[in-house]
Amino acid sequence: MLALRPWLEAFGHFVRTPTLGRRIASLLALAIVLLLAINIAVFVMIRRTAEFNDTVEHAQQVRFTAREILTRLVDAETGQRGFMLTARPEYLSVHDEAIQAMPDLFNELNALTEGDSDLQPRVERIRDLSDRRLDVMERSIVLARTGRIGEAVSVIRAGQGKALMDAMRAEIAAIDEVQATRLQFRRRQSEWAGGVTVLANALGALLIIILAAASAWLIRRYVIEIQAARSAVDRLNAGLEHQVRHRTADLTRANEEIQRFAYIVSHDLRAPLVNVMGYTSELEQAGKVLERQVAAIEARAPKAVDPEAVVAVREDVPEAIGFIRTSTEKMDRLINAILKLSREGRRNLVPEHLDMVSMVQKIADSVRHQTEAASAEIIIEPLPPMESDRLSVEQIFGNLVDNAVKYLDHGRPGRIVVSGEERGGDVVYRVADNGRGVSDRDHERIFELFRRSGRQDRPGEGLGLAFVRNSVRRLGGEITLESELGKGSTFILKFPKRLMLADAGDLA
Amino acid sequence: MSTSVKIVMIEDDLGHAKLIEKNIRRANIANEIAHFADGDSALDYLFSEPVKANGPLLILLDLNLPDMSGTEILSRVKNDERLRRAPVVVLTTTDDKVEIQRCYDLGCNVYITKPVDYESFAGAIRQLGLFLSVMQAPEIE
Repeated sequence: MLALRPWLEAFGHFVRTPTLGRRIASLLALAIVLLLAINIAVFVMIRRTAEFNDTVEHAQQVRFTAREILTRLVDAETGQRGFMLTARPEYLSVHDEAIQAMPDLFNELNALTEGDSDLQPRVERIRDLSDRRLDVMERSIVLARTGRIGEAVSVIRAGQGKALMDAMRAEIAAIDEVQATRLQFRRRQSEWAGGVTVLANALGALLIIILAAASAWLIRRYVIEIQAARSAVDRLNAGLEHQVRHRTADLTRANEEIQRFAYIVSHDLRAPLVNVMGYTSELEQAGKVLERQVAAIEARAPKAVDPEAVVAVREDVPEAIGFIRTSTEKMDRLINAILKLSREGRRNLVPEHLDMVSMVQKIADSVRHQTEAASAEIIIEPLPPMESDRLSVEQIFGNLVDNAVKYLDHGRPGRIVVSGEERGGDVVYRVADNGRGVSDRDHERIFELFRRSGRQDRPGEGLGLAFVRNSVRRLGGEITLESELGKGSTFILKFPKRLMLADAGDLA
Repeated sequence: MSTSVKIVMIEDDLGHAKLIEKNIRRANIANEIAHFADGDSALDYLFSEPVKANGPLLILLDLNLPDMSGTEILSRVKNDERLRRAPVVVLTTTDDKVEIQRCYDLGCNVYITKPVDYESFAGAIRQLGLFLSVMQAPEIE
């Protein structure tokens, strides 16, 4: 029941949805129903023909039996006459033989016509006539046997026997006629039914041919549709490859444009900065000259110097210059960071086999003095190797380990765990620490350029993770962060096991 | 450097031009400095008859010019029969490896990146001045 349900639902769906398949199925069903109807009609016809044949045979039997009775009677007559003419007993044996067969024939005729209200009375009459005829015959034979030939001849001459025979012939002819009428009626009926059957058959055949033609047409249309769909798919497939190549080229071009843009912007930003810094220094020099001058005047005539001028030269100007200088220096660092990112994006990647354990070990060694100072440890678990660009991967892991060390929580012993595993065609690495962690709202933000999270109490420009994400993406990987504020952070890196470079330049 | 050598400075940023001139003077280089702020006027000057005819030249070239790229001027100069002997010092903000290679391929004699930090900048120009003071520029005939 449970198994039937989905089947029924599928069938219901099939019936409700007007599809080509449904039309073909219904046409075939109609054809089968027609064939069945024709079959039934033919079967009925065969049965009726058999019945008709039985009727014909029965009628023949009746006629034959009736005639046989007549023939026997004539035989008996012949024997009687021969005996009367010759008085030889062998003629009588012919007569007796004929008479002996009579009761069987009458029984047969009775059985054949039993229940037939048309024939039964006639059969009775024939039997009666025959009995009477036999009586007349018997009388003349008895007279002839006793030698009274004249009397016997006069019995025959009375013509009673002939009249009886004529009446019997008439009865038998009447039976024949009844049967002939009946047969004719049956034949006509049978002919009509046959005609109807032939017509039905022809009509059915025609319908089946039409249905077959409709089915064939539908199937042909269906096949044409399928072929069209398939060639469309083929075309699409061919187009898809072209499209992918086209898009890749577009992306590469867009990417190159962005790189170039970043590069140009940072250079064009640098030029004015040279002026700002240069003339700040010139101002400073000029300020020093003025200050010396003010000091000289002050030494000679203290009253001649405006105190405001002294404050301006000794405090305001150096302060302003100091702020200008720190700001421009910061701007220079930021521009250099953008330049570095854009330059890294333009660097050619060279995939090679990387033993990750030894690489991370080297990175851990390079920060040993910091970890020892913070009484922290770096644990390196077995790491799957991969095929990628050595410099980029070193920079990625270097940055992440540096970050982990930098943001350790000094309230507890630091513990940084680098682990990894293979997952399908990818390798996944984790850099986990028990440091200060990153709050939820900053999980995405820390990967952006110049953005930092948490208390700003550690040095940095907010470049490291932006740089890491850029590099990871360039290597076809992705980086995500799982972190809870105050508990620690885990950076999860996923790379393809083998770095595949696009033909038209790699995508960042 | 003999006093007859003329320094042709092609630099669109007037501030940079002034700073460069100042620091060259501070290095005790007293040669005449002709300044052009765009590529066209510089080329007009360089390819004018009197310049071609008169005395040795040294070209200080910035790459980022408003009307044309400095490398264009560089290739024009280095493809000229007479001017190509003039030493060309490319002095620009760009420190792109490809750009540097291209300049040397085109025949630049020295490539100097302008440092943003003024002390380094001034130092670099002064060293360039010291270098110019001992450098021999060929005669342009």
